Amino acid sequence: MSVASIQPTAPEPIIGTAGIPAINLDRVGKNFRLDARREVKAVSDVSMNVGKGAFVAILGPSGCGKSTILRMIASLDEPTKGTLSVLGTTPADCAANHRMGIAFQDHALLPWLTIFDNVALPYRLAHLKADPGRVAQLIDLVGLAGFEKARPKQLSGGMRQRAAIARALLLNPDVLLLDEPFGALDAVTRRQMNVELQRIWSEQRTTTLLVTHSVDEAVFLADRVIVMSGRPGHIIREVAIPFERPRHPDVMRTVEFHHLVNELTEALHPTEGTGAP
Amino acid sequence: MNSGDGSMAKNLLTGAVGVILFLVLWQVIGAYRLAGMGWPTLTSVLDVLATPSRFGTFQRAVTATVRSVLLGYVAGFVMGFGFALLGHLWPRLKVGTDQTTAVIHAIPAIALAPLLIVFFGLAATPIAICALNVFFLVYNATSSGLLSVNNTHGDLFTAYGANRYDRFRWLELPAALPSIAAGLKLAVPAALIGTILGEWFGAPQGVGLLMVAAMQNFQIPMLWSAVLLSVAISLSMMALTSLIEHYVSHRFG
Ligand SMILES: Nc1ncnc2c1ncn2[C@@H]1O[C@H](COP(=O)(O)OP(=O)(O)OP(=O)(O)O)[C@@H](O)[C@H]1O
Ligand SMILES: [Mg+2]
Repeated sequence: MSVASIQPTAPEPIIGTAGIPAINLDRVGKNFRLDARREVKAVSDVSMNVGKGAFVAILGPSGCGKSTILRMIASLDEPTKGTLSVLGTTPADCAANHRMGIAFQDHALLPWLTIFDNVALPYRLAHLKADPGRVAQLIDLVGLAGFEKARPKQLSGGMRQRAAIARALLLNPDVLLLDEPFGALDAVTRRQMNVELQRIWSEQRTTTLLVTHSVDEAVFLADRVIVMSGRPGHIIREVAIPFERPRHPDVMRTVEFHHLVNELTEALHPTEGTGAP
Repeated sequence: MNSGDGSMAKNLLTGAVGVILFLVLWQVIGAYRLAGMGWPTLTSVLDVLATPSRFGTFQRAVTATVRSVLLGYVAGFVMGFGFALLGHLWPRLKVGTDQTTAVIHAIPAIALAPLLIVFFGLAATPIAICALNVFFLVYNATSSGLLSVNNTHGDLFTAYGANRYDRFRWLELPAALPSIAAGLKLAVPAALIGTILGEWFGAPQGVGLLMVAAMQNFQIPMLWSAVLLSVAISLSMMALTSLIEHYVSHRFG
């Protein structure tokens, strides 16, 4: 099936200004209050820009605040310090204008809706006329053709995750936020999904922020990979990924690819390497 | 909650064994007068129930009670559900709706009955007490159900820019249905208690009236027949609401 046949149905972007980064974090910090006395410093002093049409991946140890960053960008959490803007406006405005696509670690499908209706849900919430053809195409794209009428309960974990990704892509969002969307998939399906996502992305160039634990995935998909430290999370490394797009899965076998993967793995686990600081 | 077919058949079997044991025990206690004169044998009660000349009386009584129960049940549901929606959709009203409901529930139906009789008349008082009982349970089930939304689902709706109404219509309401269905099932005995209590105050018809009359004339088998009739009404409504609950919890749980 041709990806180009999937036409955007979302309204025009609210801002078309070039030069304004799609996502901007300026010295953002986030503390979670546990009780009257104790606080957890989840994120500290994170500044980053994600340009329009860029694909940025975030790597970091568990609990370092990756999901927290994504949640702040999605208007689900407020930063304690610093400022944060999405498409030149506040995350809350951006969400209210239905400009975001999001897939969490948890698929968050509604158990009472069929897969088709789950994928089509953003149409409803954005008050747009549903285009059943596009819903069907996306379901096909993530390999769930034939399961349109099934309920989430009847699907495997990986299939649910794929439905969540189809839902995130539905409105052709201006900002796509993916939090370990492939975490529940087996290695083969995961690679397939990476190749698919890369293909879709290369054609649509949706501004994307991906949180992942897989270094390979980050290098294959992203233009830029950000490595975060353990809690409180802050940025310790940024690496640009030079591969041309569209990327063929074969790049994963090149020396350059392995070199980048090694470099990032080293940044993630400095103690394991030989030249640890 | 979702017991498999095997355990369901097992439940039915243990249930049937339990009922048979109970009936045998009933007959034995009655036959040997183990519980005194107030405990008739099962067969004597069934005799009364099977007397053709009494069919008309029973039928009128059951019809009147079922009618009151259904009217009160529906009225109580509509009020409880509507009141809960009010408090949910306009959070400023929530304290008010919660307290009003708690106060209404705190007043014993016995104390309210004279007022209800003055307001609604003897015939409608069973409906009113039934409605009040159902109202309270449905209000609580609906209110708590509407708050039972899964956090990630709430986040999803926020990130996709859902407005207040869409969040209610597509998330909170479906998520509340299992709790509402459970409340409806719980409300069946409460509805029947309310109706029969209302009938005791002198309703022109009904199983409750039959009980009072039998009690005053010391017609023990007749009294027990009336009790059995009310149990039958309750059990059939329970069976129906259980089916609904089973479907809803399967579909929306
Ligand atoms: N709602 C919350 N209340 C209190 N603490 C929280 C909350 N959310 C996150 N945290 C804390 O913030 C820190 C960062 O959490 P976060 O979920 O962002 O980590 P993460 O990098 O996504 O981890 P993982 O890779 O395991 O998903 C953790 O220490 C966590 O305990
Ligand atoms: Mg996380």
